[in-house]
Formats: sequence, structure tokens, C-alpha cells
Amino acid sequence: MSLLDATGAAFRLLFGGDAELWGIVFISLKVALLGLAIAALPGILAGYLLAMKRFRGRRALVVLTQSLIAFPTVVVGLVLYMLLSRQGPFGSLALLFTQNAMILGQAILVFPILVAYTLSAVQGADSRAHETAVSLGAGPLRAALTTLNETRFAVLAGVINGFGRAISEVGCALMIGGNIAGLTRNITTAIALETSKGEFAQGIALGAVLVVLAFGVNLVMAMLQGEGGMK
Amino acid sequence: MSPLLKLDHLRKSFGERCLLDLDGLKIEVGHAYAVTGDNGAGKTTLLRILAGIEPGEIAGFEFRGLPLTHGRVPEHARHDIVYVHQHPYLFHTSVAHNIGYGLAARGIDAAARGPLVEEAIAWAGVDHLRGVAPAKLSGGEKQRVALARARVLKPHLFLLDEPTANLDGEARGQAIALIRQLVGDNGSLLIACHDRELIELPGMRRFHLAGGKLVET
Repeated sequence: MSLLDATGAAFRLLFGGDAELWGIVFISLKVALLGLAIAALPGILAGYLLAMKRFRGRRALVVLTQSLIAFPTVVVGLVLYMLLSRQGPFGSLALLFTQNAMILGQAILVFPILVAYTLSAVQGADSRAHETAVSLGAGPLRAALTTLNETRFAVLAGVINGFGRAISEVGCALMIGGNIAGLTRNITTAIALETSKGEFAQGIALGAVLVVLAFGVNLVMAMLQGEGGMK
Repeated sequence: MSPLLKLDHLRKSFGERCLLDLDGLKIEVGHAYAVTGDNGAGKTTLLRILAGIEPGEIAGFEFRGLPLTHGRVPEHARHDIVYVHQHPYLFHTSVAHNIGYGLAARGIDAAARGPLVEEAIAWAGVDHLRGVAPAKLSGGEKQRVALARARVLKPHLFLLDEPTANLDGEARGQAIALIRQLVGDNGSLLIACHDRELIELPGMRRFHLAGGKLVET
């Protein structure tokens, strides 16, 4: 099949409502969004505390967080595989090759992004925001929520970036998901499989969906940053 | 009557440099005090320590007759003290939300906050600004909203940091008029300022800060 034929077939799959293809897209979105949801609260909280508190080892934690952003996804997958495999310490949970394992993996991948973006947002915020909240009688929780609300565009940029990492990574999903059709096969693992089989049509179609999602995410980020810049 | 605020000693150093070394400070209920001093004398730092947003070494601190032994003014005293920045920060919400913020922080529900916020908006003359994004307000408008936001809390002590600095003409006059009302309403105020019109308001007492020492003049 020529590249042109494969592209034509890809568009027929996309617009013909191919159930298998859209099922794969659904699994990708579900796993990425749930991973993001699990990581959001602890990630934003950790980023806020790292920005606001001074303690021993803080600098090391900041460096570690920034390093983890670029951590190879396949290594995260490898570590999780060893932990979740039958012989591993969490083997009895029978999580390996399930969507829950993929969700866990993506939460781990997204967590440092959320921490780093929130840290940067809060550190870069006007210090008077937190001081004003405290001076007006806000307790620690209200002052934290107020400060995060004042930096919401930068924090949201972290959430969106985290989603971008989760939806587009392949290494971790492949290793701990196992690429099982209808269960753990997501966009990136399906593209890898179809391409290895020489079946380009579904790969191109899924690639197109991924590109649209990536552009969409970047568009939302640009809009948010524009909105934030108008303050 | 015991003073509203009293401290025997206050010290604040930045590294080797001692900025404040006060041998005492007493603020009487219902009186307004202007704190003058050169730029960098420590006026802002003094207010920030008293507001509890900056630590300092304080000995013999009493607020409303209650002794407090600590390095930082605790939360329950901070509810009675409101600090207004030289360049007030307004949250990126709305004018009304800004004015009601401290009330909400004190657990006052929305229904009870409404009339208080409306009264504060009217007092500060900012009704026409309620639809304007706080970030778009001028310096004078922000100062009026910040004064309303402080006054609505009915604090026992206002700490105003250079409230007319960088304001001129009508904006300065409007801010002074509001502060004059706070003073006239027997509020207790400590105002860091250079503005002669503020310093010479009727009933204003004066402190001068120099070399880390505070002297009543």
C-alpha cells in the first residue's frame, strides 16, 4: 500500500466512525485524564509548598523535580513493571497490563510537571498577593488557595502540559499496559504496533488524532497565557 | 486605660545590619500616629512586623491588654490589625470581592457580607468601579479600594504604609479624605508617611524613626 493509499484509508477510518479506532482514542483520553486527575491535587500542593516553605533539602527536591520532568518514560515503565509484576512487591494487586496500571504510570509522569509549573508560578507571583491575604485574616489554606487563584493561568499551563505528556507518551503505557486490544491499547501503543506490522492506515489516522490533540493543547495554553498576560 | 499596643523592645536585623532597635512603642486606643523617617529608615519593616507578615525579635508585646510572647504577631492578633501596602495589591477578581475578602476569611457568610461591602463601596466612592477589573484601576483607585477593604473589617489598628506616595492631585486628595475620616472616627492608625498634609491632620501624633530608634516628637 502506498503512502497515499494509506493516508486515504486513514481518513476513511477517521471519518467512517471506525469503532476500534475511536475505542483506542477513548482509552487514551480516559487514561491520560484520570492520571492527570490523580496527580493534580498532590502535584499542585507539593509545588506550592516547595515555593512557600524553606526547609533542609528543599533545593535538592527542586532539582529532583526538574530532573524528573525529562525522565525517560520507558524507565518509569520499567520500574513500575518490576514493582507490579507477579514477582514484584505489589504483584498481588494484579495491576500489570491493566488500565489502572497505565493511569498510575501517567500520574507519576505528570506529577513532576505539575510540581514544577506550580513552583515556578508561585515563586514568580507578586509576594503581595499572599501577604495581602494573610493581612486580611486568611488562614494558611485560604491564603494558599488565593495565591494559586492569582497564579491560575500559570498553574493551568502546567495541567495542560501534563496532559500533553500523558497523552503522547508511549514507553510507560507500552510496558505496563501491554498493548492489549480493547483494554490497554492507546493511541501511541497502537501506532507503534500498526507501524511495526506495516499497517500504516490506522497509524496515520491515530497519529492525526494525536497531532490534533497536541495542537489543541498548545492552542489552549497559548490562549491561557495570552489571558494571563493581559492582567 | 491600657494601651492598644505596647512593646518594650523590637529588633530587626538583616544579616549584620541592624535596621530597627526600638526601646519601646505604645499606641493608644483611638489615636492616629504618623511615622516619619528617611527612605530606608525601616518604617515599612516596622509596620510589616506589627502586621505579622514579617518576623522580628519582640519583647514585652501586649495587644489589647493581652501579653504575647513570640517572634511573630500571632493569627488572633492579626485579625485585629490590618496592613495596607504602599502599592495595594488587589486580587484579580472584582472590586466587591476584594472588599469582602477579609469578611469571608472571618467566616461571615455571603448574605451578611453584602450590606457591609455595599456600605464600604459607598464610603470609598468606588461604586462606579465595581465592573472594572481591579488590575485596570489607577493607583488612587486601588488605594481607595484597599482602604475600604481594611475599614470594612473594623480592625482595632490600621497600619497604612505611605498611603499617598505616588499619588497626586485628585487621587491624593481622595485618599487623604478617607484617612481623615478614619482618624475622625476615632480609629487607631499607624501611618508611615512623608506627606505633610497627612502628618498635620488634626489629632495626629508623630513618631520619627532614625538610626533604628523611634522617637515621639
